[in-house]
Amino acid sequence: MTAGILIPDVGPIQRASVLGRVNPLVKLGIALAWLVGMGLTLDVRPPLILTLITLIAGLQLGGIAPTALARRIAPLWLAVLGIVLANLVFSAHNPDPLATELFRMGPLRVTQEAVDAAAGLGARVLSIISVGAVFALTTDATFLIDSLVQLGRVSPRFAYGTLAAYQAVPKLADDLGTLRATRRLRGLREWHPRLIVGMLVRAIRHADQLAIAMDARGFGSGPRSTYRPVRWQPLDAVVAIAALAILVAALVVSR
Amino acid sequence: MPEGGVFRSRDADLEAIELMTTLNPAQPSAQTSPFAAWRTRDILLAAVIGVVFGVVFAIWNGIYYGLQLAKPLPDALYGMWLVPAVLAPLLIRRPGAAVFAEMVAAGVSTLFGSPWGPDTLLSGFVQGAAAELVFAMAGYQRWSLPVLSVAAIASALGAFVHDWAIYYADVATDVQLLRLALMAVSAVVFAAFGSLAIERSLGRSGVLRGRSA
Amino acid sequence: MGAGIVLQDPASQLVMERVGDDVAFGLENLAWPLGTMRRRVPEALQSVGLAGFEERRSTRLSGGEQQRVAIAGVLAQAPGLLVLDEPTANLDPDGAAVVARILATLRDQRAATIVLVEHRASLAWPLADVVLALDQQGCPIAAGPPADVLRAARALERAGIWLPDDADGSQAPAQADKLGPVSRSHGTLPILELHDVRFAFEGGDPVLREVDLGVSPGDRVALMGPNGSGKTTLLRLAMGLLRPTAGEVQLGSRDPWRLAPAQIARLAGYVVQDPELGFLADTVREEVELGLDAEQLVFAHELCERLALPLESFADRSPYQLSGGEQRRLSLVTGLARRPLLLALDEPTYGQDRRGHEALVAALDELVEQGSAVLAATHDERFAQDATDRRIELAAGWIVGELGPRDGRAEYGIVVAGQGELETS
Repeated sequence: MTAGILIPDVGPIQRASVLGRVNPLVKLGIALAWLVGMGLTLDVRPPLILTLITLIAGLQLGGIAPTALARRIAPLWLAVLGIVLANLVFSAHNPDPLATELFRMGPLRVTQEAVDAAAGLGARVLSIISVGAVFALTTDATFLIDSLVQLGRVSPRFAYGTLAAYQAVPKLADDLGTLRATRRLRGLREWHPRLIVGMLVRAIRHADQLAIAMDARGFGSGPRSTYRPVRWQPLDAVVAIAALAILVAALVVSR
Repeated sequence: MPEGGVFRSRDADLEAIELMTTLNPAQPSAQTSPFAAWRTRDILLAAVIGVVFGVVFAIWNGIYYGLQLAKPLPDALYGMWLVPAVLAPLLIRRPGAAVFAEMVAAGVSTLFGSPWGPDTLLSGFVQGAAAELVFAMAGYQRWSLPVLSVAAIASALGAFVHDWAIYYADVATDVQLLRLALMAVSAVVFAAFGSLAIERSLGRSGVLRGRSA
Repeated sequence: MGAGIVLQDPASQLVMERVGDDVAFGLENLAWPLGTMRRRVPEALQSVGLAGFEERRSTRLSGGEQQRVAIAGVLAQAPGLLVLDEPTANLDPDGAAVVARILATLRDQRAATIVLVEHRASLAWPLADVVLALDQQGCPIAAGPPADVLRAARALERAGIWLPDDADGSQAPAQADKLGPVSRSHGTLPILELHDVRFAFEGGDPVLREVDLGVSPGDRVALMGPNGSGKTTLLRLAMGLLRPTAGEVQLGSRDPWRLAPAQIARLAGYVVQDPELGFLADTVREEVELGLDAEQLVFAHELCERLALPLESFADRSPYQLSGGEQRRLSLVTGLARRPLLLALDEPTYGQDRRGHEALVAALDELVEQGSAVLAATHDERFAQDATDRRIELAAGWIVGELGPRDGRAEYGIVVAGQGELETS
C-alpha cells in the first residue's frame, strides 16, 4: 500500500528450499565473513565472483523467482552509483602527480588508480546488495528469532518482543498512508516530519497493548518451553564450509 | 461535556485491565533505578521504535539514493539513521536501549531490502554502541540537549569509521572530513534536536504516561 | 487456574507470525512440554472454528479471524477466568456474529467464568447471567440478572448505554419522515461522479469493479457491505488518494488525483475511521486551526462550540488525550471547517455510544442542509437509518444494491453469491 516499501514475503517455496532451511545464523555468519573478506581487497574480481555465486544460489538453492529477485535489486543500483562516484571523483589518487591521468574535466582530474579503486568498491557494494537480497528473500523471521534464542542465547524476552513488534509493520504502513491522506485532505503537503509523531503515538499505544496481552499470557514469568525446537544440522556445516571455500577461492583468484 | 456510558478512553480501559491481571509477579515495579530489569512494555517500546524507524529508513533510503549525484551532500541526511540510538534511550532510560532499538531498526531495514544488506546490522551495532557509551558515561542519569548531542555525534563518528573502511576506502582525507562534519551536524539536528522534539510531542499526547521519563 | 484476557483490538494481540505459533505462545511461557502443545494447539483452533489455520500468516487474517485466534490462544491455557474487553468493537457484523456464537458455546460449556466488557448491549445481554452496568465515572447503576437490570432502563439511557431493543434499529422513525429540506436537489451538477471505475492494487485482485456512482449536493449516501468489499477504497478514489486502474473519477468536475492538496481541501473533507489518524498537532487549538484562512477560522471556532468542544476548555489539551467521543467530534470539526461540498466519512460510529451517535447525526444533518453531500462507509445499520437517505451496497467490489430515499427498507438486501470475505466456521 505504501509506495517504496517492499514488505518481505518469504513464501512456502523459499522456506522449504535449501537456503530457507539453512540456519539464519549461518547465513548471517557467512554474510559477515564475506564482508570482512571483501574488506581485504580492492580488486574488482572477488566481489563480482561472490555476487554471481550469490545470485545463482538464490535462484537455484533459494527458490527465489527471477522477477522477485530482479524487483528487489533493481532500485539499489543507485547505491552502487553513489559509492562509485564518490570514490571516483574524490579519490585520494586524483591529486597525486605520480598517478596515471586518464582525463581532465575542468578542475577534476581522474586517474587510473581512482577508476580501479572505485570499480572495486562498486563491486563490493554489489556483492553486499546481492547477499542482502538473497538473505531477505529466503529468511523466515520466526526461524531467525527462534535460532537467536535457542542457539544464539539471546534473551527470549527481547527476541520475541521484537518479533511481536515486527508484526505491526503492515498496520504501521497503513497508518502512514492514512496520516498522509489526512494531510492532503486538509490542504497540507503530504510528507512532513510530523508524520513520525503520528506514527509513534499509534505505535506506542500498540506496544503498550501488546505488552499487556503478552504479560497476560505469562510472558517472561519463568522458564519457557519451545514449540519449534531448532538444532544445528549437517546442512548448516556443509553450507558454512562451502561458503568459506568460495571466499578463499575468490580472494586467491585476485592474487 | 462528559462522555457517556461504559465507553471511556482506551487508556482508562487498559489501566483497568492491567490492574485485573497482575499475572506476572516477576515483573519489576515501575519507577526504579535505570539498572532495574526491563519490563515487557519497555522492551516493546524500544522494539516498536526500532520497527517504526525501520520503516522510516526504507523511505529515507529512497530519498538518499535519489541525491547520489550530489555526493557528499546527501550525508547531511545521515542523522535520520541515528535517531533510534538517541530516541529510544531518551524515552526508556535503561541501559542497552540505544543498541537494541538501533539494531531492531537495522534488522527491519535489512529484511525490507536495504542496499547495505546484513552490513546494516553491523552499522546498526556500531551506531547504537557509540551512543550507548556516551549515555553510560552520563550514568543514564542526564538527558539534556548537550548529552544527547554528544551521543548523536559519537554515533555519527562510529558510522563514519565503519563507512570509511567499507565503502569510502579510496576517498581523499579532506572530503572524508567534510563527510564527517556533515554527518555530525546532521546527527545533532535529527537525532538530538529531533528526539527532543519527538519526546515533547509524545509527552503531550499522553502515551508516555506511567513511564519514568 | 489462571485468567485469560482478550482485548478490543485484535491486531494488538498478535505476537507471532503464524497462527499455530501464536496459539502456542502462552503455552511456551507456561513451559508446557512439546507433545502436549502439539495436541493442544489444533484443539484450541478447532474450538474457535479455525481448524487447519496453523500455518496461516496472522497479519493477513480478517479482524474477526484474528480475534478468534486471540481467543484460541487464551483458551489453549484452559483458564478459569476469561476476560474479554469489547472483543467485537472493531469487527464487522459478520465477524462479530461468529465471535458471539463462540462465546455462547463457551458459556454453555461452563468451562470458565466469563467477564465480558461490552457497549453493544445486544451482544452481551443474551450471554449474561449477571449484568453490571456502569456510568461514566465507573460507578454501578444497576447489577443483577439481565431482566432485573432492564428495569433501570431510564438510568441506563441517561448514562448513554444502548439497550438491547435499540440494536436492530426497529425503533428508529421511518426514514422517509426525516428527509431534510434540501434532500436530492434535482438539476444540480453532481459533486462526485464515478464512471465504470475499476481498481486493483499492484499485482492484486480487483478491489472495485465497474463502479458507477453519482453523488449530488444534498445527498446523504451510506456505503455498506462487509469488510473487504471495497468501501474504503471507493472513498479514497473519490478523494483522489488512489488512482483508478480504469474508468474515471470526477470530484467537482475535476480529476481529484491531479488536484493539489489546497484545491482538494476546498472540495472535500475526509473523516477517517480512527480519529487519531486524523490528528496532526499537539493541541486541540493547533489541530482545529491548522491550514485555515481567517473566515474558516471563525467557522471552525463556531463548530467547536456546537460540537461541545469549546476552545476555552479544550484549546490546550492534546487531541490524543480526549475521550473516544471527543476525538470523533474533533475529527468532524477538522473535516467540516472548510465547508466541503462533499464530506466523506469512514466508519464514523466506530466506538461511539448513544450520545456520540446523536451528536454526529445532528452535525451531518446541518451540513446537508447547507447544500453539501455526505458519503459514509459504514456497517452500522442504525447510523445508515438515522443519518443517510440513500444506500449503496458493495460486495466483493461490485455495487450489488442501491436504495433511494423512499424505497423503504423491505426491498433491500440484494446480495450476490461469492463475496470476498465470508466467515466460515
